[in-house]
Formats: sequence, C-alpha cells, structure tokens
Amino acid sequence: MTTPDHLSATFAALADPTRRAILARLATGEASVTQLAEPFEMSMPAISKHLKVLERAHLIGRGREAQWRPCRLEAAPLKDISDWIDHYRQFWEQSFDRLDDYLRELKARDSAAQKPRAKDKKHARKQRKN
Amino acid sequence: MPASNAKTSSATNLLERDLTLTRVFDAPRELIFQAWTEPEHLKRWWGPRGFTAPTCEVDLRVGGTWKIVMRFPDGVNEHTMQAVYREIVPPEHLSFTNTALDKDGTRLLEGLTTITLEDLGGKTKLTMYTRMTGLVSYSDRMLDGMEPGWSQTLERLGEALAEWSKS
Repeated sequence: MTTPDHLSATFAALADPTRRAILARLATGEASVTQLAEPFEMSMPAISKHLKVLERAHLIGRGREAQWRPCRLEAAPLKDISDWIDHYRQFWEQSFDRLDDYLRELKARDSAAQKPRAKDKKHARKQRKN
Repeated sequence: MPASNAKTSSATNLLERDLTLTRVFDAPRELIFQAWTEPEHLKRWWGPRGFTAPTCEVDLRVGGTWKIVMRFPDGVNEHTMQAVYREIVPPEHLSFTNTALDKDGTRLLEGLTTITLEDLGGKTKLTMYTRMTGLVSYSDRMLDGMEPGWSQTLERLGEALAEWSKS
C-alpha cells in the first residue's frame, strides 16, 4: 500500500488525458519515448515532462539497461487508487448487514408490543361486560 | 453476509465510478424508508460493525441537509457524510447528493446517490445507485482493517485505462 500522499500524487498524475493515454499505451507493453510520442502532436520535451510526472507518481518505471530507456507501467499505485470504490462498496454492504439486523430487531419489538395491546382489548371487553 | 442477494457492478473509470448495490430485506418498505430518514434509526445501522454514529441531523425536505458522523472503532477517527436531498418520495424513492469528509474536513469523495425501494409483498428490494468521484487520498485509512478482497489484473487495468483515455 502506498501512503495517502503517494495516492494524491497518483490522482494528480492521472488528471491529464495525455498521461492517461500514455499509461493505456504502456498497458500493452514497454515503449520508448519516441514510440510514446508518436500518437501526439507534441514535442519530445513536452512528452518527457509528462513522463517525469508519471515517474514521480511511481506509475511508470524507466529501464536503465538499454540506452533508449524503455518505459513500463507500474500497476501498484493504480490498484491503490481503484481501491477507494471498493472501500465504499464495503461500507454500504456492511451497513446493509447492520440495517438487516436492525430491521429484525424493530419487527421483533413491534410484535412484542402487539401482545400487551391484545391484552388491552380483552381488558376492554371485560369492562364492557361490567 | 447474505451475498446471494447482494449484487455489485462498477464502471471502468478509476476516479469517477458507478456503483449499484441491491439487497432484499425482510421488512415492509415503509419501515425501511423510516430507517433511512429518521436520525434515531440511522444511528443504529450506519457504518460497518464496530463503528458508531454519534451525530445525525436530518432535515427531510427537498434542498434540506442530512449530516451523519461515523466514528471509527478506535473511538477517535471520524468521517462525516453531508448530503442534500434532491428527491423524496415516501416510501419508494430517495435521492441525495453526498460528500464524505475526513476528520480535518478534507473532502474525500462526492456523488449522487439514489435509493429505490420495491415492494415484494412484505419483503423489500432495495437498490442503491451511486455515482461517486474520488477527490483526494481516499485510501485504506477509510475502513481500516477491512479486507477489500479485490484483485485487478494488468489486462483489465489496461482496458480501463484505454476506455478512460477515450473520454
């Protein structure tokens, strides 16, 4: 798990459509900066700037071995960022479990409350007889 | 947990997400509507087990606000949900915009939630549809100690990103 600060960096890095497109391309495999720049009408320095943001957010890694330093996707921060909706889902699922219990409790209380009322009716009949 | 009648689905976008949950409750919808709209009821079930809801204020009218504080099992950490009612149709429909805040007042997520209650002859099918946007570091702090049981393959991640970059 990354820290909340890392997660903020991930959110910030993902806020840009070009960077998201770069990540989508990298999800299909490693690519060089030149290859990544191809679909965009952008200068190499502009692309490099985007890559630096992604690298700082630990969303991509750069190879050291080859001179062309291939970029690759690092999935871990993306998993963390996706987890928030899962936490939210769990919040509701578990709240619904408690709601289910609580509704049972309410119904039980309600039927218990009806018994004295039945007694009252009997009592009322008695009173009428008198 | 009765997983059999709890179905979930979510869209592919990572920051903005749709979530639909359904659950069948063995209670009439009037009672469930009450449980959703009266503070004394809400406090009894809001949040996972071990969590409490020390504060709940409801102004049940369109444009009215609903605020509920959820206290963590540690007794210290708190998250607040602030909502504004958009539609109120007892006992079948409730919709509200909602924002979740952490203890420092940082907005964690916001969205629009719709609750529909369908009468199944004594039982009630509840459908909750929510469209949420994660705002900041909405992290594992949220519901600490809960296992998400979630796994995402790189392929699916790639599909999600491809979908997203089109928008």
